[in-house]
Amino acid sequence: MTLCFLVIAFTGRAQQPATVKVTGEVLTPLTLTASDLAAMPRTTASAKDKHGIMHSFSGVAIADILNKAGVTTGRQLRGENLAKYLLVSCADGYQVVFSLAELDSSFTDRVVILADQEEGKPLPAGIGPFRLIVPGEKKPARNCFQVTTLAIRFAKE
Amino acid sequence: MTVEGVELGRRLFYDKRLSANNTIACGSCHQQRHGFADIRAFSLGFDGTPTRRNAMSLTNLLWVRHFFWDGRASSLEAQAITPMTDPHEMGQSPDHAAGKLRAVPGYAALFAAAFGSDSVTGERIVKALAQFERTLISDHSRYDRYIRGEYRLTSSEQQGLTLFFTNNDPVRGIRGAGCGNCHSGPKVFSETYHNNGLDSLPTDPGRLGVTGMEYDRGRFRVVTLRNIALTAPYMHDGRFRNLAEVLDHYSEHILPGPTLSPSLRDSLNRPIELHLTSVEKGNLLAFLNMLTDSVFITDPRYADPFAIKTKTVE
Repeated sequence: MTLCFLVIAFTGRAQQPATVKVTGEVLTPLTLTASDLAAMPRTTASAKDKHGIMHSFSGVAIADILNKAGVTTGRQLRGENLAKYLLVSCADGYQVVFSLAELDSSFTDRVVILADQEEGKPLPAGIGPFRLIVPGEKKPARNCFQVTTLAIRFAKE
Repeated sequence: MTVEGVELGRRLFYDKRLSANNTIACGSCHQQRHGFADIRAFSLGFDGTPTRRNAMSLTNLLWVRHFFWDGRASSLEAQAITPMTDPHEMGQSPDHAAGKLRAVPGYAALFAAAFGSDSVTGERIVKALAQFERTLISDHSRYDRYIRGEYRLTSSEQQGLTLFFTNNDPVRGIRGAGCGNCHSGPKVFSETYHNNGLDSLPTDPGRLGVTGMEYDRGRFRVVTLRNIALTAPYMHDGRFRNLAEVLDHYSEHILPGPTLSPSLRDSLNRPIELHLTSVEKGNLLAFLNMLTDSVFITDPRYADPFAIKTKTVE
Protein backbone atom coordinates (compact mmCIF):
# COMPACT_ATOMS: atom_id res chain seq x y z
CA MET A 1 0.00 0.00 0.00
CA THR A 2 2.80 2.37 0.99
CA LEU A 3 4.71 1.42 -2.15
CA CYS A 4 1.63 2.04 -4.27
CA PHE A 5 1.19 5.45 -2.69
CA LEU A 6 4.84 6.30 -3.31
CA VAL A 7 4.57 5.31 -6.95
CA ILE A 8 1.53 7.52 -7.40
CA ALA A 9 3.12 10.38 -5.48
CA PHE A 10 6.33 10.21 -7.49
CA THR A 11 4.69 9.95 -10.89
CA GLY A 12 1.79 12.22 -10.09
CA ARG A 13 -0.56 9.86 -11.86
CA ALA A 14 -2.44 6.77 -10.77
CA GLN A 15 -2.00 3.63 -12.86
CA GLN A 16 -4.64 3.52 -15.54
CA PRO A 17 -6.17 0.64 -17.48
CA ALA A 18 -5.00 0.43 -21.08
CA THR A 19 -7.49 1.64 -23.68
CA VAL A 20 -7.66 2.27 -27.40
CA LYS A 21 -9.15 5.62 -28.37
CA VAL A 22 -10.94 6.06 -31.68
CA THR A 23 -10.89 9.72 -32.67
CA GLY A 24 -10.90 12.18 -35.56
CA GLU A 25 -13.37 11.93 -38.45
CA VAL A 26 -15.85 9.76 -36.52
CA LEU A 27 -19.47 10.23 -35.52
CA THR A 28 -18.91 8.63 -32.13
CA PRO A 29 -15.48 8.87 -30.48
CA LEU A 30 -14.73 5.67 -28.58
CA THR A 31 -12.49 4.67 -25.72
CA LEU A 32 -12.31 0.89 -25.87
CA THR A 33 -11.23 -1.21 -22.90
CA ALA A 34 -10.23 -4.86 -22.91
CA SER A 35 -13.77 -5.85 -21.89
CA ASP A 36 -15.29 -3.69 -24.67
CA LEU A 37 -13.18 -5.57 -27.21
CA ALA A 38 -14.06 -8.93 -25.63
CA ALA A 39 -17.76 -8.11 -26.15
CA MET A 40 -17.40 -7.22 -29.83
CA PRO A 41 -17.54 -9.73 -32.74
CA ARG A 42 -14.29 -11.72 -32.58
CA THR A 43 -12.10 -12.75 -35.46
CA THR A 44 -8.69 -14.29 -36.05
CA ALA A 45 -5.68 -13.45 -38.18
CA SER A 46 -2.19 -14.82 -38.72
CA ALA A 47 1.04 -13.07 -39.44
CA LYS A 48 4.77 -13.74 -39.44
CA ASP A 49 6.96 -12.07 -36.85
CA LYS A 50 10.24 -10.38 -37.74
CA HIS A 51 11.99 -13.72 -37.50
CA GLY A 52 9.66 -15.24 -40.11
CA ILE A 53 7.67 -17.42 -37.68
CA MET A 54 3.88 -17.55 -38.19
CA HIS A 55 1.63 -16.77 -35.20
CA SER A 56 -2.14 -16.86 -34.77
CA PHE A 57 -3.95 -13.96 -33.15
CA SER A 58 -7.51 -13.12 -32.19
CA GLY A 59 -9.22 -9.82 -31.69
CA VAL A 60 -11.64 -7.47 -33.42
CA ALA A 61 -11.61 -6.45 -37.08
CA ILE A 62 -10.54 -2.83 -37.46
CA ALA A 63 -13.46 -2.45 -39.90
CA ASP A 64 -15.90 -3.37 -37.10
CA ILE A 65 -14.31 -0.82 -34.77
CA LEU A 66 -14.55 1.86 -37.45
CA ASN A 67 -18.19 0.98 -38.08
CA LYS A 68 -18.95 1.25 -34.39
CA ALA A 69 -17.38 4.73 -34.37
CA GLY A 70 -19.41 5.84 -37.40
CA VAL A 71 -16.56 6.12 -39.89
CA THR A 72 -17.41 6.34 -43.61
CA THR A 73 -17.09 2.65 -44.50
CA GLY A 74 -18.81 0.34 -47.03
CA ARG A 75 -21.19 2.20 -49.33
CA GLN A 76 -20.11 5.54 -47.86
CA LEU A 77 -16.50 4.90 -48.80
CA ARG A 78 -16.48 6.68 -52.14
CA GLY A 79 -15.75 10.09 -53.60
CA GLU A 80 -13.77 12.34 -51.31
CA ASN A 81 -14.08 9.87 -48.45
CA LEU A 82 -11.43 7.84 -50.28
CA ALA A 83 -8.95 10.51 -49.18
CA LYS A 84 -9.44 9.53 -45.55
CA TYR A 85 -6.90 7.45 -43.68
CA LEU A 86 -6.39 5.70 -40.39
CA LEU A 87 -3.43 6.85 -38.30
CA VAL A 88 -2.50 4.16 -35.77
CA SER A 89 -0.51 5.40 -32.77
CA CYS A 90 1.34 3.18 -30.33
CA ALA A 91 2.52 3.72 -26.76
CA ASP A 92 6.15 4.13 -27.81
CA GLY A 93 5.20 6.88 -30.28
CA TYR A 94 5.43 4.62 -33.34
CA GLN A 95 2.80 5.44 -35.97
CA VAL A 96 1.58 3.82 -39.20
CA VAL A 97 -1.19 4.73 -41.64
CA PHE A 98 -3.73 2.86 -43.76
CA SER A 99 -6.05 4.37 -46.32
CA LEU A 100 -9.64 3.53 -45.37
CA ALA A 101 -9.97 1.50 -48.56
CA GLU A 102 -7.18 -0.83 -47.35
CA LEU A 103 -9.40 -1.81 -44.42
CA ASP A 104 -12.80 -2.03 -46.07
CA SER A 105 -14.47 -5.29 -47.09
CA SER A 106 -15.92 -3.64 -50.21
CA PHE A 107 -12.34 -3.12 -51.43
CA THR A 108 -10.37 -6.03 -50.01
CA ASP A 109 -10.80 -9.48 -48.52
CA ARG A 110 -7.91 -8.92 -46.15
CA VAL A 111 -9.05 -8.39 -42.57
CA VAL A 112 -6.77 -6.28 -40.40
CA ILE A 113 -7.45 -6.85 -36.72
CA LEU A 114 -6.79 -5.22 -33.40
CA ALA A 115 -5.53 -8.27 -31.56
CA ASP A 116 -5.64 -8.83 -27.81
CA GLN A 117 -4.70 -12.53 -27.80
CA GLU A 118 -1.90 -14.61 -29.31
CA GLU A 119 -2.37 -18.39 -29.49
CA GLY A 120 -5.33 -17.98 -27.10
CA LYS A 121 -3.38 -16.08 -24.45
CA PRO A 122 -3.13 -12.37 -23.62
CA LEU A 123 -0.35 -10.63 -25.53
CA PRO A 124 3.04 -10.58 -23.76
CA ALA A 125 4.33 -7.53 -21.89
CA GLY A 126 5.97 -5.07 -24.21
CA ILE A 127 3.65 -6.08 -27.05
CA GLY A 128 0.15 -5.90 -25.55
CA PRO A 129 -2.44 -5.46 -24.40
CA PHE A 130 -3.49 -4.43 -27.93
CA ARG A 131 -1.59 -4.76 -31.20
CA LEU A 132 -2.30 -4.65 -34.89
CA ILE A 133 -2.16 -7.71 -37.14
CA VAL A 134 -2.02 -7.07 -40.87
CA PRO A 135 -2.15 -10.42 -42.69
CA GLY A 136 -0.19 -11.01 -45.87
CA GLU A 137 2.33 -8.21 -45.67
CA LYS A 138 5.93 -8.91 -46.69
CA LYS A 139 7.26 -6.84 -43.79
CA PRO A 140 5.79 -6.93 -40.28
CA ALA A 141 6.37 -3.20 -39.81
CA ARG A 142 2.66 -2.32 -39.61
CA ASN A 143 1.92 -5.12 -37.12
CA CYS A 144 2.57 -2.56 -34.44
CA PHE A 145 2.59 -3.07 -30.66
CA GLN A 146 0.69 -1.45 -27.80
CA VAL A 147 -1.81 0.41 -29.93
CA THR A 148 -3.27 3.39 -28.07
CA THR A 149 -5.14 5.44 -30.67
CA LEU A 150 -6.93 4.91 -33.97
CA ALA A 151 -7.39 8.35 -35.51
CA ILE A 152 -9.31 8.92 -38.73
CA ARG A 153 -7.89 11.84 -40.70
CA PHE A 154 -8.68 13.54 -43.97
CA ALA A 155 -5.84 13.91 -46.48
CA LYS A 156 -7.92 16.01 -48.89
CA GLU A 157 -6.00 19.01 -50.20
CA MET B 1 8.90 33.95 -36.75
CA THR B 2 10.66 37.24 -37.45
CA VAL B 3 14.30 38.33 -37.43
CA GLU B 4 13.44 40.69 -34.59
CA GLY B 5 11.67 37.96 -32.61
CA VAL B 6 14.64 35.62 -32.98
CA GLU B 7 17.09 38.34 -31.95
CA LEU B 8 15.01 39.15 -28.87
CA GLY B 9 14.81 35.44 -28.11
CA ARG B 10 18.59 35.09 -28.29
CA ARG B 11 19.07 37.94 -25.83
CA LEU B 12 16.51 36.41 -23.46
CA PHE B 13 18.12 32.98 -23.81
CA TYR B 14 21.33 34.41 -22.37
CA ASP B 15 19.80 36.89 -19.90
CA LYS B 16 20.38 35.78 -16.30
CA ARG B 17 17.56 38.02 -15.14
CA LEU B 18 15.31 35.15 -16.21
CA SER B 19 16.34 33.39 -12.99
CA ALA B 20 15.12 34.37 -9.53
CA ASN B 21 18.51 35.57 -8.26
CA ASN B 22 19.94 36.64 -11.65
CA THR B 23 22.60 33.92 -11.65
CA ILE B 24 21.62 31.60 -14.50
CA ALA B 25 20.13 31.89 -17.97
CA CYS B 26 18.87 29.20 -20.37
CA GLY B 27 22.36 29.33 -21.88
CA SER B 28 23.97 28.38 -18.54
CA CYS B 29 22.85 24.76 -18.90
CA HIS B 30 22.46 24.79 -22.70
CA GLN B 31 25.95 25.83 -23.76
CA GLN B 32 26.65 26.40 -27.44
CA ARG B 33 30.13 24.86 -27.33
CA HIS B 34 28.58 21.67 -25.96
CA GLY B 35 25.84 21.48 -28.60
CA PHE B 36 23.59 23.48 -26.24
CA ALA B 37 23.88 20.83 -23.53
CA ASP B 38 25.63 20.80 -20.15
CA ILE B 39 28.71 18.79 -19.19
CA ARG B 40 27.18 17.96 -15.79
CA ALA B 41 25.04 14.85 -15.36
CA PHE B 42 22.53 17.09 -13.59
CA SER B 43 22.58 20.84 -14.09
CA LEU B 44 22.46 23.16 -11.11
CA GLY B 45 19.49 25.47 -10.68
CA PHE B 46 19.68 29.07 -9.44
CA ASP B 47 19.76 27.82 -5.83
CA GLY B 48 22.36 25.12 -6.50
CA THR B 49 19.86 22.26 -6.56
CA PRO B 50 20.64 19.59 -9.17
CA THR B 51 17.97 19.00 -11.82
CA ARG B 52 16.10 15.71 -11.98
CA ARG B 53 17.38 14.79 -15.43
CA ASN B 54 20.29 15.57 -17.75
CA ALA B 55 20.01 18.83 -19.73
CA MET B 56 19.05 17.98 -23.30
CA SER B 57 21.00 19.32 -26.27
CA LEU B 58 19.20 21.86 -28.44
CA THR B 59 19.58 21.04 -32.11
CA ASN B 60 17.11 20.97 -35.00
CA LEU B 61 14.19 21.43 -32.60
CA LEU B 62 12.06 22.71 -35.45
CA TRP B 63 11.46 19.06 -36.33
CA VAL B 64 10.78 17.83 -32.79
CA ARG B 65 7.17 17.51 -31.65
CA HIS B 66 7.52 16.42 -28.03
CA PHE B 67 10.02 17.87 -25.60
CA PHE B 68 11.81 16.73 -22.44
CA TRP B 69 13.05 13.21 -21.86
CA ASP B 70 9.48 12.08 -21.22
CA GLY B 71 7.89 14.09 -24.03
CA ARG B 72 5.54 15.96 -21.70
CA ALA B 73 5.63 19.29 -23.57
CA SER B 74 4.19 19.46 -27.06
CA SER B 75 5.66 22.81 -28.05
CA LEU B 76 8.85 24.75 -27.43
CA GLU B 77 6.73 27.42 -25.75
CA ALA B 78 5.32 24.88 -23.28
CA GLN B 79 8.84 23.54 -22.75
CA ALA B 80 10.36 26.93 -21.99
CA ILE B 81 7.90 27.72 -19.20
CA THR B 82 8.95 24.62 -17.23
CA PRO B 83 12.57 25.45 -16.32
CA MET B 84 11.63 29.11 -15.88
CA THR B 85 8.98 28.37 -13.27
CA ASP B 86 10.55 25.31 -11.62
CA PRO B 87 11.25 26.35 -8.01
CA HIS B 88 14.79 24.95 -8.18
CA GLU B 89 15.77 25.72 -11.79
CA MET B 90 15.14 29.38 -12.63
CA GLY B 91 12.60 29.91 -9.89
CA GLN B 92 10.21 32.59 -11.13
CA SER B 93 7.20 32.85 -13.42
CA PRO B 94 7.60 34.32 -16.91
CA ASP B 95 5.35 37.20 -15.78
CA HIS B 96 7.68 37.89 -12.86
CA ALA B 97 10.64 37.87 -15.27
CA ALA B 98 8.73 40.29 -17.50
CA GLY B 99 8.34 42.67 -14.54
CA LYS B 100 12.11 42.66 -14.05
CA LEU B 101 12.83 43.20 -17.74
CA ARG B 102 10.49 46.21 -17.90
CA ALA B 103 12.99 48.02 -15.69
CA VAL B 104 15.88 47.25 -18.06
CA PRO B 105 16.52 50.01 -20.62
CA GLY B 106 16.29 48.82 -24.21
CA TYR B 107 14.03 45.80 -23.76
CA ALA B 108 10.81 47.70 -24.50
CA ALA B 109 12.18 48.66 -27.92
CA LEU B 110 13.23 45.06 -28.64
CA PHE B 111 9.76 43.78 -27.72
CA ALA B 112 8.17 46.50 -29.89
CA ALA B 113 10.32 45.46 -32.84
CA ALA B 114 9.43 41.80 -32.32
CA PHE B 115 5.75 42.02 -31.42
CA GLY B 116 4.48 45.41 -32.67
CA SER B 117 4.03 47.00 -29.26
CA ASP B 118 6.43 47.60 -26.38
CA SER B 119 4.51 45.53 -23.88
CA VAL B 120 6.92 43.18 -22.06
CA THR B 121 4.96 40.10 -20.99
CA GLY B 122 5.73 36.60 -19.85
CA GLU B 123 3.92 35.16 -22.85
CA ARG B 124 6.06 37.20 -25.22
CA ILE B 125 9.25 36.13 -23.45
CA VAL B 126 8.30 32.50 -23.96
CA LYS B 127 7.35 33.07 -27.62
CA ALA B 128 10.62 34.87 -28.37
CA LEU B 129 12.66 32.13 -26.69
CA ALA B 130 10.88 29.51 -28.81
CA GLN B 131 11.54 31.54 -31.97
CA PHE B 132 15.27 31.64 -31.22
CA GLU B 133 15.36 27.94 -30.41
CA ARG B 134 13.73 27.11 -33.75
CA THR B 135 16.67 28.72 -35.54
CA LEU B 136 19.19 26.38 -33.88
CA ILE B 137 19.63 24.33 -37.01
CA SER B 138 22.66 22.12 -37.44
CA ASP B 139 23.29 21.16 -41.07
CA HIS B 140 27.03 21.62 -41.55
CA SER B 141 28.34 18.42 -39.98
CA ARG B 142 30.51 16.10 -42.06
CA TYR B 143 27.46 13.82 -42.27
CA ASP B 144 25.41 16.64 -43.81
CA ARG B 145 28.20 17.38 -46.27
CA TYR B 146 28.37 13.67 -47.12
CA ILE B 147 24.60 13.60 -47.77
CA ARG B 148 24.97 16.63 -50.04
CA GLY B 149 27.77 14.89 -51.94
CA GLU B 150 30.41 17.35 -50.68
CA TYR B 151 32.41 15.00 -48.48
CA ARG B 152 34.01 11.65 -49.09
CA LEU B 153 33.81 9.20 -46.19
CA THR B 154 36.93 7.65 -44.74
CA SER B 155 36.92 3.87 -44.68
CA SER B 156 36.18 3.87 -40.96
CA GLU B 157 33.31 6.37 -41.32
CA GLN B 158 31.84 4.33 -44.17
CA GLN B 159 31.91 1.15 -42.13
CA GLY B 160 30.54 2.97 -39.09
CA LEU B 161 27.67 4.43 -41.10
CA THR B 162 26.82 1.02 -42.53
CA LEU B 163 26.91 -0.61 -39.10
CA PHE B 164 24.79 2.18 -37.62
CA PHE B 165 21.98 1.87 -40.17
CA THR B 166 22.05 -1.92 -40.70
CA ASN B 167 20.10 -4.43 -38.61
CA ASN B 168 22.05 -7.35 -37.25
CA ASP B 169 20.93 -10.57 -38.91
CA PRO B 170 23.26 -13.47 -38.09
CA VAL B 171 21.05 -15.96 -39.99
CA ARG B 172 21.70 -14.11 -43.24
CA GLY B 173 25.26 -13.25 -42.25
CA ILE B 174 24.52 -9.54 -42.06
CA ARG B 175 26.40 -7.58 -39.43
CA GLY B 176 24.76 -4.43 -38.08
CA ALA B 177 24.30 -2.49 -34.88
CA GLY B 178 20.71 -1.45 -35.67
CA CYS B 179 21.11 2.05 -34.19
CA GLY B 180 19.12 3.54 -37.07
CA ASN B 181 15.93 1.73 -36.03
CA CYS B 182 15.38 4.45 -33.46
CA HIS B 183 17.93 7.09 -34.43
CA SER B 184 16.42 7.05 -37.89
CA GLY B 185 17.47 8.78 -41.05
CA PRO B 186 19.42 12.03 -41.34
CA LYS B 187 17.54 13.38 -38.30
CA VAL B 188 19.22 10.64 -36.20
CA PHE B 189 16.27 10.62 -33.82
CA SER B 190 12.67 9.50 -33.99
CA GLU B 191 9.59 10.69 -32.16
CA THR B 192 9.44 7.50 -30.09
CA TYR B 193 9.99 6.37 -26.51
CA HIS B 194 11.99 3.33 -25.51
CA ASN B 195 13.29 1.60 -22.43
CA ASN B 196 16.86 0.93 -23.52
CA GLY B 197 17.70 -1.49 -20.73
CA LEU B 198 19.68 0.76 -18.42
CA ASP B 199 18.05 -0.76 -15.31
CA SER B 200 15.89 -3.79 -14.66
CA LEU B 201 13.98 -1.73 -12.09
CA PRO B 202 14.04 1.83 -13.39
CA THR B 203 14.30 4.41 -10.59
CA ASP B 204 12.97 7.13 -12.91
CA PRO B 205 9.47 6.27 -14.23
CA GLY B 206 10.13 8.15 -17.49
CA ARG B 207 7.17 8.27 -19.84
CA LEU B 208 4.95 6.60 -17.21
CA GLY B 209 4.94 9.93 -15.38
CA VAL B 210 3.13 11.46 -18.35
CA THR B 211 0.75 8.69 -19.38
CA GLY B 212 0.14 6.83 -16.11
CA MET B 213 0.62 3.59 -18.02
CA GLU B 214 2.74 0.86 -16.45
CA TYR B 215 4.05 -0.18 -19.87
CA ASP B 216 5.69 3.23 -20.16
CA ARG B 217 7.92 2.68 -17.10
CA GLY B 218 11.52 3.56 -17.85
CA ARG B 219 10.70 4.70 -21.36
CA PHE B 220 12.44 7.85 -22.57
CA ARG B 221 12.41 9.80 -25.78
CA VAL B 222 14.86 8.79 -28.50
CA VAL B 223 17.07 11.85 -28.60
CA THR B 224 18.97 13.30 -31.50
CA LEU B 225 22.56 12.23 -31.99
CA ARG B 226 23.43 15.54 -33.65
CA ASN B 227 26.57 16.91 -31.94
CA ILE B 228 26.51 13.85 -29.73
CA ALA B 229 30.29 13.86 -29.25
CA LEU B 230 29.95 17.27 -27.55
CA THR B 231 27.08 16.52 -25.18
CA ALA B 232 28.57 14.08 -22.63
CA PRO B 233 27.53 12.76 -20.18
CA TYR B 234 24.83 10.58 -21.71
CA MET B 235 21.35 9.17 -20.96
CA HIS B 236 18.56 10.84 -18.98
CA ASP B 237 20.64 10.59 -15.82
CA GLY B 238 24.04 11.28 -17.35
CA ARG B 239 25.33 7.88 -16.20
CA PHE B 240 27.71 7.34 -19.12
CA ARG B 241 30.74 9.60 -19.19
CA ASN B 242 31.63 9.08 -22.83
CA LEU B 243 30.44 7.49 -26.06
CA ALA B 244 32.62 4.42 -25.50
CA GLU B 245 30.54 3.64 -22.42
CA VAL B 246 27.34 4.14 -24.43
CA LEU B 247 28.53 1.69 -27.08
CA ASP B 248 29.54 -0.80 -24.37
CA HIS B 249 26.01 -0.58 -22.98
CA TYR B 250 24.31 -1.32 -26.29
CA SER B 251 26.92 -3.95 -27.14
CA GLU B 252 26.52 -6.27 -24.16
CA HIS B 253 25.08 -4.58 -21.07
CA ILE B 254 21.38 -4.12 -21.91
CA LEU B 255 19.42 -5.33 -18.90
CA PRO B 256 16.19 -7.34 -19.08
CA GLY B 257 12.95 -5.87 -17.76
CA PRO B 258 9.22 -5.98 -18.42
CA THR B 259 9.25 -2.77 -20.47
CA LEU B 260 12.55 -3.30 -22.31
CA SER B 261 12.11 -2.13 -25.91
CA PRO B 262 11.16 -4.96 -28.31
CA SER B 263 13.82 -3.50 -30.62
CA LEU B 264 16.44 -4.53 -28.06
CA ARG B 265 15.22 -8.11 -27.61
CA ASP B 266 16.23 -11.18 -29.56
CA SER B 267 13.91 -13.88 -30.90
CA LEU B 268 13.85 -15.55 -27.46
CA ASN B 269 12.88 -12.26 -25.78
CA ARG B 270 16.31 -11.83 -24.21
CA PRO B 271 18.25 -8.55 -24.34
CA ILE B 272 20.30 -8.47 -27.52
CA GLU B 273 24.05 -8.89 -27.21
CA LEU B 274 25.87 -7.53 -30.23
CA HIS B 275 29.41 -8.07 -28.89
CA LEU B 276 30.79 -5.32 -31.05
CA THR B 277 34.51 -5.71 -31.71
CA SER B 278 36.87 -2.88 -30.83
CA VAL B 279 37.22 -2.19 -34.56
CA GLU B 280 33.43 -1.99 -34.94
CA LYS B 281 33.18 0.33 -31.94
CA GLY B 282 35.89 2.50 -33.44
CA ASN B 283 34.00 2.66 -36.71
CA LEU B 284 30.75 3.58 -34.96
CA LEU B 285 32.59 6.31 -33.06
CA ALA B 286 33.99 7.59 -36.36
CA PHE B 287 30.43 7.87 -37.67
CA LEU B 288 29.13 9.50 -34.47
CA ASN B 289 31.94 12.05 -34.66
CA MET B 290 30.73 12.95 -38.16
CA LEU B 291 27.62 14.39 -36.52
CA THR B 292 29.62 17.15 -34.82
CA ASP B 293 28.88 20.50 -36.45
CA SER B 294 31.69 22.94 -35.71
CA VAL B 295 29.95 25.66 -37.74
CA PHE B 296 26.86 25.33 -35.53
CA ILE B 297 28.73 25.53 -32.24
CA THR B 298 30.66 28.63 -33.30
CA ASP B 299 27.88 30.38 -35.21
CA PRO B 300 27.76 33.98 -33.92
CA ARG B 301 23.98 34.07 -34.55
CA TYR B 302 23.56 31.64 -31.66
CA ALA B 303 26.18 33.14 -29.35
CA ASP B 304 25.74 35.00 -26.08
CA PRO B 305 25.15 38.69 -26.99
CA PHE B 306 26.16 39.79 -23.48
CA ALA B 307 29.55 38.10 -23.86
CA ILE B 308 30.09 39.80 -27.23
CA LYS B 309 29.22 43.18 -25.73
CA THR B 310 31.70 42.70 -22.88
CA LYS B 311 34.48 41.93 -25.34
CA THR B 312 33.70 45.05 -27.37
CA VAL B 313 33.88 47.24 -24.29
CA GLU B 314 37.23 45.73 -23.33
